[in-house]
Amino acid sequence: MNEFLEYFLVEARELVERATSDLLMLERAPSDRERLDGVFRAFHTLKGGASIVDFGPMSRAMHAAEEVLSATRASDQLVTPTLISDCLTCLDQVDQWLDAVQDSGDLPGDAEAAADRVIVRFTADPKSADDTQGKPIATASAVRAILPAAIAVLQEQLSLLVTGGDGAEGRMASAGRLAANVLRHIARLDDAKQIERAFLQSRTSGDFTLLSAAIERVVEKMRAPVPVEAVAANAPRAASTSRTLRVDTERVNELVNVTGELIVAKNAVGHIAKLAMEANNTLAAVIKDEHARFDHLIETLQRVVRGLRVLPMHVVFQRFSRQVREMSESHGKPVRLVTEGDKTEADKAIVEMLFEPLLHVVRNAIDHGVEPAEQRAAAGKPSLATLYLKAWREGERVVVEVEDDGGGIDVAKIRQAVAERCLVSREVLSAMSNAEVLDLIFLPGFSTALEITELSGRGVGMDAVRTAIERLRGRVLVETRLGKGTTVRFVLPFSVMMTPVITVEAGGQMFGIPLDAVIETVRIPREQIYSVGGAHAFVLHNQTIPLIELGRTFGWGADHASFDATVVVASSGGQLGGLQVDRLGAHMEVMLKPTEGLLSGMPGIAGTTLLGDGSVLLVLNLEDVLQ
Amino acid sequence: MNVLVVDDSKLARMAVIKLFRALHPDWSHVQAANGDEAIAALNEKKVDLVVLDFNMPGRDGLDLAAEFRKIRPTMPIAVISANYQREVVDRARVVGATFLPKPVTEQALKEFLATAVQRRQDFDP
Repeated sequence: MNEFLEYFLVEARELVERATSDLLMLERAPSDRERLDGVFRAFHTLKGGASIVDFGPMSRAMHAAEEVLSATRASDQLVTPTLISDCLTCLDQVDQWLDAVQDSGDLPGDAEAAADRVIVRFTADPKSADDTQGKPIATASAVRAILPAAIAVLQEQLSLLVTGGDGAEGRMASAGRLAANVLRHIARLDDAKQIERAFLQSRTSGDFTLLSAAIERVVEKMRAPVPVEAVAANAPRAASTSRTLRVDTERVNELVNVTGELIVAKNAVGHIAKLAMEANNTLAAVIKDEHARFDHLIETLQRVVRGLRVLPMHVVFQRFSRQVREMSESHGKPVRLVTEGDKTEADKAIVEMLFEPLLHVVRNAIDHGVEPAEQRAAAGKPSLATLYLKAWREGERVVVEVEDDGGGIDVAKIRQAVAERCLVSREVLSAMSNAEVLDLIFLPGFSTALEITELSGRGVGMDAVRTAIERLRGRVLVETRLGKGTTVRFVLPFSVMMTPVITVEAGGQMFGIPLDAVIETVRIPREQIYSVGGAHAFVLHNQTIPLIELGRTFGWGADHASFDATVVVASSGGQLGGLQVDRLGAHMEVMLKPTEGLLSGMPGIAGTTLLGDGSVLLVLNLEDVLQ
Repeated sequence: MNVLVVDDSKLARMAVIKLFRALHPDWSHVQAANGDEAIAALNEKKVDLVVLDFNMPGRDGLDLAAEFRKIRPTMPIAVISANYQREVVDRARVVGATFLPKPVTEQALKEFLATAVQRRQDFDP
């Protein structure tokens, strides 16, 4: 295995990530030269990296993309959607290659062909590419009419190819290009691509028979009768190449579990390194280095796994078309829903938790924001109100926005209501800016105040909305223009911090132990556990480890003393300890919530999380427990 | 000899350093990931020779080479780039830097060192 491979992988993943985010930004702002520079540099560095580790096909593919990017950078032209999608496809290919390299240490066997497919995207005659994008391709009946002519042209090219001699290379180039163009014209995009690939191979190898064989194959295919539908169906499929792969959630969860196991294995190596160091073992330094490498790779793995668990906003947005229609009907207010950025992706956990807060905001907008039709007419607004649901990615953040074209929020009325209900003292209130006053709609109890005063404003349950969004580590912002409408914006992280834990049962209660601290799980025969003062301990790998009976620590009944002990060996804050449990459970990734209510401030508990079956898992704070 | 290697890609820096190790195991190396780090290294450490990447965010390798020149008029500088562009080669010559194609080969580095050391001897006998 190449010694640079590890750094190559880490760096390449980062570059792919950066380039992807820059490309997505470019899609929104095609004139952003800085982003374009960023994309160019990322491709350039990827190319350099690939040639350092001797991955020729990848280097060639990156070079082709870089050339086009460089030309665009040098001109004043805007970045075209085609270029963006070609670049993204190229990065997808790179990602697949990186996966293969991570698995096997080398590019997969079909890398040359895959590289050619990428290169064709960037080297195909731009004029013919435009033809397929812009103009409607010849209709099926027209194709049938010109098919014999097209075959004749292709055969002509074949005859040109058999005569060698002077200028053979030029003839081959023009034959290849012409054949591909003819095929594009009659909507045989797949065939055209095959010709282009064969052309590239012929040019690099100097073997012209590759091209002529490809043309012959296509001619043969064209002579066979083709059903009309097949021709028509061919075009759109070729135009939008799929960039995604469907994977069963179960498989992703499996991956999450294996990652969890790896973390434990890594921690064990770390522990061994420490033992070796203390014993002055000559291998100590090597083990420590290996541990660091392991640590680094697993961190990357965790990031990659996180990236797998994404969902498009479409999943939540689609639920609103019915909601809005129903609300619109029940309120007698005509409202149309417009969604933008449905394809924006975010961590599954975030997308799935967005529905409730969004529903609150949408309901508010229709209840209180959108004016009755006659009022809208009087204000010179179209009677059909528009509600926008938008989403987009901003670097590491995802923004989701609900915008209405209703009456807006009257800040003066909020001031009045807040003053009347004494939610904020008059002095403080008078010193507040309008934006600060607007922020008061998030105060707990504000909505009730408004309902009592029967003020037709906003704010029903906005405190709940803010709480929900902040739990996801996001922020809620409100903008309003009186008479024009209101925008509520959620700024969310792309992914949530997940804590990998192993679940255990002790004293009838389920606990989660953060995997970061777990070194290993062992069974200790009862007779090997001895008393030290009032406490228990056992010896493992020549080390005395205090035994902590987890169930008893939290006062939930006693542990069984007659069987072998199931022990989770963990280390935190420099302390080593063995947690005796009744049963080991599963590895899982959980989103930690700070403890609330009864549990808050309870020593030894870092936080809680809801399990799939609705029960609460207490996640241990090992630093406390091991003290 | 102390060599300063400037490249925003760690992989690329490692590759260059590996070549140096093969040719001169006794030389030491300093790394910098961008222009600012490079200037700081040049001011703080004893640097005898610089190899820098042309394509970096912010100041490109040639701008940086020109700045190095002002600080250290006689120090050998090599600018490496994966793209052989006439313009880059010419600009390298203007600031008195040697152009090396990327990925750098042992042969190219050897030649650069031979002329660089020669030049150093010309300047400080």
